[in-house]
Amino acid sequence: MKKMIRVLAATSVLATALPAQADVVIGAVLPLSGVNANGGEDQRRGIELAVAQINEAGGVLGEPLKVIYEDSGNVPQRAIDAARKLVSVDGVALVIGEYSSGITIPLGQYLVAEGVPHLNPASTSGLVRGIGATSFSMVGLDNVSTEFAAKDVLDRGWKRVAVLAMNNAFGQGVANEFGAHFAQLGGEVTTTIMYTSGQTTYRRELQQAESTEPDAYVFTAYGADGGLMMQEAYELGLQEDPWYSILITMHNADTPAEFKTGLIGMDVDYTADDTSYKAAYEEAYGQSFQSAWSGYAHDTTLFAAETIERAGSTDRPAVLSAIAELGAEGFTGVTGEIKLDADGQRMWQPYQKLKVEGDALVSHE
Amino acid sequence: MSDFLIHVISVSCIYGILALSLNLQAGFTGLMNFGLIAMFGCGVYGAGLVHRFGLPVALGPALALILAVLMGLFLARLGRRLSTDYWGIATLSIAEIARIFATNLEPLTGGAQGISGLPLLFSGLRPWDGAARLALFAVILGVAWLICERLVRSNFGLGMKLIREEPQLARALGYDIDRIRSTVMVIASVIAAVAGVLYAHYLSFVGPELLLAPETFLIWAMVIIGGIANNRGVIAGAFAMQFMMAYVPFVKDYFALPSDFVAAARLMLSGGVILGFLLLRPQGIFPERVGGRHDH
Repeated sequence: MKKMIRVLAATSVLATALPAQADVVIGAVLPLSGVNANGGEDQRRGIELAVAQINEAGGVLGEPLKVIYEDSGNVPQRAIDAARKLVSVDGVALVIGEYSSGITIPLGQYLVAEGVPHLNPASTSGLVRGIGATSFSMVGLDNVSTEFAAKDVLDRGWKRVAVLAMNNAFGQGVANEFGAHFAQLGGEVTTTIMYTSGQTTYRRELQQAESTEPDAYVFTAYGADGGLMMQEAYELGLQEDPWYSILITMHNADTPAEFKTGLIGMDVDYTADDTSYKAAYEEAYGQSFQSAWSGYAHDTTLFAAETIERAGSTDRPAVLSAIAELGAEGFTGVTGEIKLDADGQRMWQPYQKLKVEGDALVSHE
Repeated sequence: MSDFLIHVISVSCIYGILALSLNLQAGFTGLMNFGLIAMFGCGVYGAGLVHRFGLPVALGPALALILAVLMGLFLARLGRRLSTDYWGIATLSIAEIARIFATNLEPLTGGAQGISGLPLLFSGLRPWDGAARLALFAVILGVAWLICERLVRSNFGLGMKLIREEPQLARALGYDIDRIRSTVMVIASVIAAVAGVLYAHYLSFVGPELLLAPETFLIWAMVIIGGIANNRGVIAGAFAMQFMMAYVPFVKDYFALPSDFVAAARLMLSGGVILGFLLLRPQGIFPERVGGRHDH
């Protein structure tokens, strides 16, 4: 036991002996391991590109901006562990995080309780709105995106649709919000199927959806799930009816061209007017966007840097009022204008209607 | 720094309580429960449901205890005709079923979005709330330890160990195996549920992610490291494991390692440490005391 205490004491000393921080430091809690590791890595890329851009232009408050990344492992407790370290040991000015709503919410609540500014770069569940006063979303929540999708689907003349969504916080949020908006606009959801992500087949779910004889299928899916679902829908002959994908970029790269002929959908528009970010991403990582989320993480970082610059220090109350000020004024990033409502949530963001042509996605108005 | 340390010790206390619960079952009675997280889940969802439906917070522990007793009895009854290893697999599936229920019973449990905004314990005592929570957790850990110690040193405890070593002999000597198993499961389940209630009001969020199977194995790792069938040992194991996990990010910062190091290092730590102990020191840091004192 004595030995163990000594070891623990030694690690504590080691931890406090971290190099002194002359830089402006912010924290990011991302899922760098676990099922959302790809999404987390894409967020990290977006932040890295933003940091490079900021530091090239002279940094923040005349100092280089530094981001400390912590892994959430897709577990709420690990995310809060990480946030506690960032807040109480590293003394960061603000924390960016996380990816899935089920983790962003407790993470944000912890930060709110500590009075630390929290910037949500990705989670879209409606519950995010209730996190608290010092939490802000740099992404439009489900109510915004699903309203856009519901209108788009109805405009195409499909009145009865079957909805398929993955059974997690994101999928449940999308399914509920889409259903509510669709019904409000006069459409009818024939069935809502919540599938478990990561299955080896989705035939049961697809046939269940087919049995309700919808005009079209509306679905949202992550990479490999979406690819498999489209393939099986093709094999079952379900693609005679139209398919509409909410956040289509999440799975487009994983779906072979032959199984997605005629697929349409919508996604956040992360290259609104400015293609320089897309070019920078492709140059740095040698591939096109892996998801829509790098752009949001990128903008979140730019927004954070701008607020610290305005606050004139990394003092948290000053940063908080600068966030409120900048949010009310509006800030333009690669995902369009970020303007926050009274709850600190992004009011609006551009979306794009997309369709598949061969293997690629093209704009479809 | 001290805030972080208080946090790590607080969470270690909660895991210490869970490790004591698992130790009662697996360590002393030989009940290989791979679904411990479901008992913990009774606690977190007991607290969560009470909050969700706007009932007084004090009803949380009550609901948690009712759920825990039912869960304990159910698992004990379930296992009556199964041999230990098959029973272990059954407990694992029960825990998964519980998690899937929590994910899908959206009107009741809030589904995958979980239940958020649970009141944080002692939040009115800022800035001393962290210390107050730690004190409470430490006291409850102490009480749980006392209960477990008294139990395993009693005649009943002898029965538990006999069931673990020689169930047929225990039956021949007139021990009612079913009754002892049920009692152990209920007590252990209640202890785990208490940890769950504390955890829910510490994290202020309840969701199905808290009930993932790997969490059970983390607690198993604590028990194996600390010393199975030694109450002091498993608490030490819980602290050691939590501290290792919590301090990995500092090692990353110190040596300026890439951020994915943390995830890999944690996986290697939990896996490697279990393997290391199983191969080199299967009795753990504090081995079981055989032939120890018994109160009659």
